[in-house]
Amino acid sequence: MDRTKQNDIIRRARAMADKASFVADDFAQALFPRTDVVFNDRMRSHALQYLRRAVSQIAQRICQIATRDLGVTHQLLLSIAEEGGDQSFALLQPSGLLNKPEIVQHLLVKTQQNELAARLLQKISQEDLESTLTRHLDHDDPAVAQAAMGLLVAQSRATGAAGAIEACLADLPPEIVYAIAWPATAALVRLSGSPGVRLQQAAERLLAEHDESAGVARKAERLAQLLEQTRTETNPVPHPMKDGLALFVARLARQSGLSSDQIVTFTAEPEMARFIIVLCAADYPVQEALSIYAALDSGDHILTAATYGELDRDRCVALVSGWAAPDAYQDAERTLSRDYLSEDRR
Amino acid sequence: MNNALKLAEPVRGQVDADGLLLSADPLLMRLHLRCGGKEGGPLAVPELAALCRLSRRLRMNLSRPVHASDDDSRIEMWVETRLASAERDQPLALSIIDWKEYSHDESDKADPARDRDFDRLEGRGAIRTDAALRIIAKQMPGKAARNFGAIGQSLIDIYDVIPPSAHAKLLEAVAERQPIRNQRMREKSGAQRLFVMQGEPLIDKAGLFAGYRFAAALDDPEPPVQDARQASGKLISDSLFGMQLGPALRQPLGKIIANAETISTKLEGPLRGDYASYAKDIASAGRHLLDLVNDLSDLEAIERPDFTVAGDDIDLVDLAHRAAGLLAVKAADHQIRLELPDKEQKMPASGEFRRSLQILVNLIGNAIRYSPDGSVISLSVSADQGFARISVSDQGSGIAQEDQERIFEKFERLGRSGDGGTGLGLFISRRLARAMGGSLTVESAADQGSTFTLSLPARKTP
Repeated sequence: MDRTKQNDIIRRARAMADKASFVADDFAQALFPRTDVVFNDRMRSHALQYLRRAVSQIAQRICQIATRDLGVTHQLLLSIAEEGGDQSFALLQPSGLLNKPEIVQHLLVKTQQNELAARLLQKISQEDLESTLTRHLDHDDPAVAQAAMGLLVAQSRATGAAGAIEACLADLPPEIVYAIAWPATAALVRLSGSPGVRLQQAAERLLAEHDESAGVARKAERLAQLLEQTRTETNPVPHPMKDGLALFVARLARQSGLSSDQIVTFTAEPEMARFIIVLCAADYPVQEALSIYAALDSGDHILTAATYGELDRDRCVALVSGWAAPDAYQDAERTLSRDYLSEDRR
Repeated sequence: MNNALKLAEPVRGQVDADGLLLSADPLLMRLHLRCGGKEGGPLAVPELAALCRLSRRLRMNLSRPVHASDDDSRIEMWVETRLASAERDQPLALSIIDWKEYSHDESDKADPARDRDFDRLEGRGAIRTDAALRIIAKQMPGKAARNFGAIGQSLIDIYDVIPPSAHAKLLEAVAERQPIRNQRMREKSGAQRLFVMQGEPLIDKAGLFAGYRFAAALDDPEPPVQDARQASGKLISDSLFGMQLGPALRQPLGKIIANAETISTKLEGPLRGDYASYAKDIASAGRHLLDLVNDLSDLEAIERPDFTVAGDDIDLVDLAHRAAGLLAVKAADHQIRLELPDKEQKMPASGEFRRSLQILVNLIGNAIRYSPDGSVISLSVSADQGFARISVSDQGSGIAQEDQERIFEKFERLGRSGDGGTGLGLFISRRLARAMGGSLTVESAADQGSTFTLSLPARKTP
């Protein structure tokens, strides 16, 4: 065996020894999932592709600021600044530094959004979907027209090739940029061996220049807010095929008091049960609710008028208002109720 | 009513590293002060302050919707934060590019839970149907309370339409989406009880007809077997109000009140001002008479030897919120603020839901009636010695020591008149409290306000 290969095996063996205690955890998670939510291989693949792109773009931008504005001349950093590269991701992925709840939650939302968009495109063409927003461009209120234009621009920037998932730095929520930027900076310091101060300064500048208002999610929320404010009796009920996915989700979120991310997550759950409850709580008429369900479902399930019609709206409203409570409160409530249950059993 | 301010320029403010509001445009300053802030003090608008903290922690510029609320209105904003430089101590600039105010009254509108509480308080049932009159939800009073079998069936398959109204006439009203008034309907199976239904058409968000919401009042309450026996051979039974006069009086009184209100609001067209004012007086007198009929029916019921109450599992905090919800409009008319225990607090007790709610509505209603405008009525809960207690405290003129027992006597008004009271409310409330194994007491001093305390047996939570 040549020396290089031998060294490689020794390195891998050492790395594995460090991580050996997590093997059983990983296997257990695959064997005994705690929810009924099914993640197909496409979603897993998309999530990793998206994360790789997000980390790479952030690392590239940090390198660009460091090399162009702060005078750093390291060869590797110059190369990443020019051409990008997955080096930071390769270092961070196995480290566990990207396995943070907020990042994982964001990945779930983005991949599910991608799934929903793909399902919508089976029913309506990309052109027709994009043209849904153009009707707001002539709105009487210039603020609405301007917000619609902003959303169109943001969407066109964020749309990748059909079927692919694209991460765009401008679209990432600030919390995610922050959660990735600092580990990415540390990875760049380690990879390049250069002093950390300049790269830290570059990361600070990246954070300061990030404009949340330019992202699709905020543009959609802003347009949803303006549309709901100018709502008239004749305004149609929001629908993903009439408003586009981002605006539909933002409008439903606004009407229900939930966040857009929650609405998207609900659509990933079995039979979209919570999503249906949200539609009922927001008082969507039967035909509209059935049509929205059919547009967003993968085709495996059917929602009938009888099932939807029999939902008690008051109970739906109460459930939704519970889900709108802060996460920390909901977590605490669940934990406390579990504690009381176990006390009872004693 | 809502008020969308078209901002020519964004509303601006500056917040320093310690969260102090350094400067603010008048609109933001007004909100900050109304939320309890001081000039130069910490930013007092909670969601806005949280956004500033997040922006500073991440050291990133944020752009998000923010909600705020003061005594008068709920405010929706769109806020952008801008960090002046990378220096941590530099102030954070706030720029509010959208500002919309909604009055609180608007958000109180059309609360189905409140309607349901009214129905339960009055002993009415409720049925919700879809556009084809199929039953979606049903909660009926008394023995018919739990009948899930009816869900999904057509209303006219379950009930017979009783003349003088004909089957066709009901369907005609439904076809025209008209309200349905005083429709008598009898159950086709089971106890075959007779109900009087009032139906309101429901319109969904798309502006389409979505069905009806019916309130159903029992028209022929089943007399207890014993009473029926006693009544034989008598012209008028012992239960004069509950069984005979009550239902007979309520229906025409309801019509008088409804018609007088229609006239006074000039819904059907213009009317001379003084005539509208007479109609208001008629409605007011009608309501007073209806209250008296209800009180007399209750009085008769509780004085019957076989009077019993159900032992429901109730929560006094929940009841306080429901009762306050029912009287919110009346309190707002007098600018009276109702201070309620925290919703998260629990005070489990044992007692009949409807009767306990009735007592609380009576206590809060009295407090509103005898408190000065602009005062505060506070409700608080406590528990000791196996009893759960709820107290209603007002800032009224109080009750002299020597009158404190008299007010619980029948028809005792302490010389007051013309304020809409019947002099039976507290008598009935105390009897009901005792029937549920509890008590109703008062503590008061002249010019010091009064505190009425309802005590019910405490219930252990599982």
